[in-house]
Amino acid sequence: MREVAIIGAGMTKFGRSEIGLIELMSEASIRALDDASLGDLRVDAVYVPNMGAARLNRQTAIASALVDRLNLFPAMAEAVENGPASGASAVKNGFQAIASGMADLVLVTGGERMRAVNNLEATDFVASLSHPQAEYIYGVTLPALAGMFTRLYMERYGVTARHLALVAVKNHANALDNPYAHIQQRITLEGILTAPEAVVNNPYIADPLRLYDCCPVSDGAASLVLASREIAEKLGRPVVRIAGIGQATDTHAVHERPDPTELTAVRLAAQKAFGMAGITPQDIDVAELHDAFTILEIAESEEAGFFRKGEGHVAVEEGVTSRTGTLPINPSGGLKAKGHPVGATGVAQLVELTWQLRGEAGERQVEGAKSAFACNFGGFGNNVVATVLRRED
Amino acid sequence: MEDKKVYGVRCKACGKELYPAHALCPECGGREFEPIEIRGEGVVLTYTDVYALPLDYALRYLRLAIVELESGLRATGQLLDDDPKIGKRVRVTVGVVRERGEEKIYGLQFVPV
Ligand SMILES: [Zn+2]
Repeated sequence: MREVAIIGAGMTKFGRSEIGLIELMSEASIRALDDASLGDLRVDAVYVPNMGAARLNRQTAIASALVDRLNLFPAMAEAVENGPASGASAVKNGFQAIASGMADLVLVTGGERMRAVNNLEATDFVASLSHPQAEYIYGVTLPALAGMFTRLYMERYGVTARHLALVAVKNHANALDNPYAHIQQRITLEGILTAPEAVVNNPYIADPLRLYDCCPVSDGAASLVLASREIAEKLGRPVVRIAGIGQATDTHAVHERPDPTELTAVRLAAQKAFGMAGITPQDIDVAELHDAFTILEIAESEEAGFFRKGEGHVAVEEGVTSRTGTLPINPSGGLKAKGHPVGATGVAQLVELTWQLRGEAGERQVEGAKSAFACNFGGFGNNVVATVLRRED
Repeated sequence: MEDKKVYGVRCKACGKELYPAHALCPECGGREFEPIEIRGEGVVLTYTDVYALPLDYALRYLRLAIVELESGLRATGQLLDDDPKIGKRVRVTVGVVRERGEEKIYGLQFVPV
């Protein structure tokens, strides 16, 4: 298997976009291609993670549309739909194409324009990934699944509303230093939890989860250029190697899992990624986890092997996961504050980590980061992709 | 009259019960199943009150739960209980869980015992 490196990274500001999906993805792609400085080299494959263009934007076959806009003919191209894990899935596809020798240079551009529809429609669009007969018909939404998960987690492990709020406060603070973040608003424990007006400012969405426990609905695009290690070294760019990728699936209906507080697919995907990279969770300097809900940052940090089960919330409380802690989590602001345009998210996590490993993350730089981990969480944990990146000098 | 019951399946080869139905048995790989009605009593494993309501609902909030039935099967449904608690005993009923225009969708509703 050939080694694969990330040689270009770029994204749009997440938030509400005035331009169309293809234009948005095109903008992110151009940034990543410029960053890669390919010269005369041509991209020979394009992967386009996206979950909802057909429904949200009434457009299909978007990979062909993007290739056309960017004049990347005759590159191979396809869209990749794997729910909210589409982004890292597509990076995996690009990795496979290069590792196998079928391609040398790959563009992966994920995007979503969710704000093309109203919030009710956007929530229903995401809810449609739940089990149609056993979950969806009851009014199950992603916040509903997360709410039930959180209640059980609290009961079992002593996680409190305060621990959840601490994750939100941390990630909002990180996003203040990220010019690409959707939400740039400093929040305090008092404002969202303890002050009398907190019940108004931070109402329940799916109790015990409140507004500030949930990610926003965002538009945005993110892009990476992948290359064989040989090409990466020739181009003279800092080499950020994709050292490991793992993916695992789990039951569609959450209630079928032997223990519904376990995110088995996260654990298995992370184990595979670490095994392939030949390193352990203790070697990781910085991580981007899929905090669509604050509880997920805590649960994923345990399943990925950074903390023991039931101890992730203690790590948050002790500042271990803050930017100056021993394992900074979501220095970008995470989905919570950076935003969550679903098809872009898995790519955007790796864009952030590429910048972190190159030392280009500005104010939010984690000093001396050499190894990084990302978890892109699809469904409510029924399809998860974990990625390990390493800076090679 | 329309059948308003909710069914899982039992594997004809090994007896494993599943809800919802699958095409292959996770225990033995069996492909033949018989329907089993989701009924009886159980306990609330977890629940939530959804205030950000989905399409088709005009309520203040929607109370959803995962219930563990006596048979060991679990099911997601609506919890019709003004005093919900983890571990509380409930009974399975079937009622209208969603209305989409003229269409009424029937499903599991859990009520206190
Ligand atoms: Zn069987």
